[in-house]
Amino acid sequence: MSAVEGGPASGGLPPNTIIAIGVIGGLAGIYLTMLNQTFNTQIFSVMGGIGSIFAVVWGADAVRRVCSYGLGTGVPSIGMVALGMGVVAAIFGLIIPETGILPIPTILGPVISFIVAALIGLVIGVMSNKILKMNIPIMEKSMIEIAGAGSLVLMGLSASIAGSFAFNDAILPGVVSTGYIAIVFIGGAMTILHPFNANLGPDETQYRTLYVAIEKAALIMVIAGFASLTVIDAVSAAVTMLVGLLIFLVYFNKFMKSVHREAYKVVGTGLLPSAEELE
Amino acid sequence: MIIDPISIALITLGGVLIGLGVHFIPVGGAPAAMAQATGVGTGTVQLAAGAGLTGLISAGFMYNFLATAPGGFGTSDFILVLASGAVGAMIMITVTMFIGQLVYVYCVGVPPVSAKVDKDPITGDRQDIYVSQGTEGHGVPTVSFVSGTIGGLFAGVGGSMVYVQLMQIGNAPADPAIVALAGIFATGVFYVNAVLASYNIGGTIEGFHDPKFKRVPKAIISCLIASLLCAIIAVPIMGGVS
Repeated sequence: MSAVEGGPASGGLPPNTIIAIGVIGGLAGIYLTMLNQTFNTQIFSVMGGIGSIFAVVWGADAVRRVCSYGLGTGVPSIGMVALGMGVVAAIFGLIIPETGILPIPTILGPVISFIVAALIGLVIGVMSNKILKMNIPIMEKSMIEIAGAGSLVLMGLSASIAGSFAFNDAILPGVVSTGYIAIVFIGGAMTILHPFNANLGPDETQYRTLYVAIEKAALIMVIAGFASLTVIDAVSAAVTMLVGLLIFLVYFNKFMKSVHREAYKVVGTGLLPSAEELE
Repeated sequence: MIIDPISIALITLGGVLIGLGVHFIPVGGAPAAMAQATGVGTGTVQLAAGAGLTGLISAGFMYNFLATAPGGFGTSDFILVLASGAVGAMIMITVTMFIGQLVYVYCVGVPPVSAKVDKDPITGDRQDIYVSQGTEGHGVPTVSFVSGTIGGLFAGVGGSMVYVQLMQIGNAPADPAIVALAGIFATGVFYVNAVLASYNIGGTIEGFHDPKFKRVPKAIISCLIASLLCAIIAVPIMGGVS
């Protein structure tokens, strides 16, 4: 619930590097699922999940930067608003080229989603500072980043479930009608809000927060792979699950190692004593 | 007509009602989880989402029942769906407050009391002498309980208004794709408005008697702009799918 009151977050990779990693990695992952159509297979669905990991890293870092100022309402709120803005923008961007209202090629869908998300983020960020008087200097920039990352996470996970980002052919029947969109929504929000929420405090460091981000994003990727069992073929789903599990194990180990290294002492408390032992 | 002004206006109104409803709900946040502030011990977003999503489910059930029935979907049906959503949200929030109250009174052992007013505006009971030292009240006093129920009413009506309007544009009540799309959009609009409202109250509020409640106009302006933006985006999509 409570965030640390204070100034800007410091240390680690500079924000612009993370933004570049998130935007390029996220969009690349989504677009690489097009290899599925090129080679007439579903095996490249895994790329959508990997793209979403990059986007999650960016989103979690943006949450980390804005929440270091103290929102007053807890970190989870900002993760939920990220995907709230992201889902509206993502579906709009993917569907608009296919309706033929505007002459836009379908391939530009994810980019339009991303731009629309950034616009909604800008409006909400400006309102938070100008009307609601939150007075967080980086609020506008962070809201743009968080909304953009939210839309990329949503599109990446959807593309990895459905095997393509084409809305009417793949995502509508595969992700929306089946209801998996709810998992993607809540799971995606969790990956963005949880890393900083779990690590916040005076000794929070960027790399430890981002280890949790990668590890959580990999877990959601495993769930997306499991969901895609009913949408695309079993082999591709298994590839997504295995890659996700592998990334999860690697980064969970890294996280645990950094916790053990930075904690003053790690001790086991054992189980609760039984009634006889207490006498 | 791909951009229908009446639908956009009603979705925006729904968003504003959600933002207004959040201000009535007694949110205590982390301090309340330790019985050091009045209200339910969790964040605005979680409470509003719990109540709002329950309202969405009850409204969706009623909509599906009425829209697939012979005779089509009329104005009186619209009101029935809104009422159904409101009752769903109100039941959820009152149950949450009631169970929370049992925990505060019988497990933590604190009297439900408000620290913001000296006398409960509804029952007239003395409040200030029961506030433990160093805390800002605890539990859910009568006025907060009533306020929370009103909040459930507004948020439930708002959420179901957004959902019904999107379903009406989609014009296919039995199509799972339209139902899921309208549901996830309503959820998205709900979260955006609930979070904006919670930023406005800065985390904790006791109900309509809290001095922070005077900030409502600012939240209404923000929610109006945000919902209008979401509505302008959402309406062509629902029109485009059907």
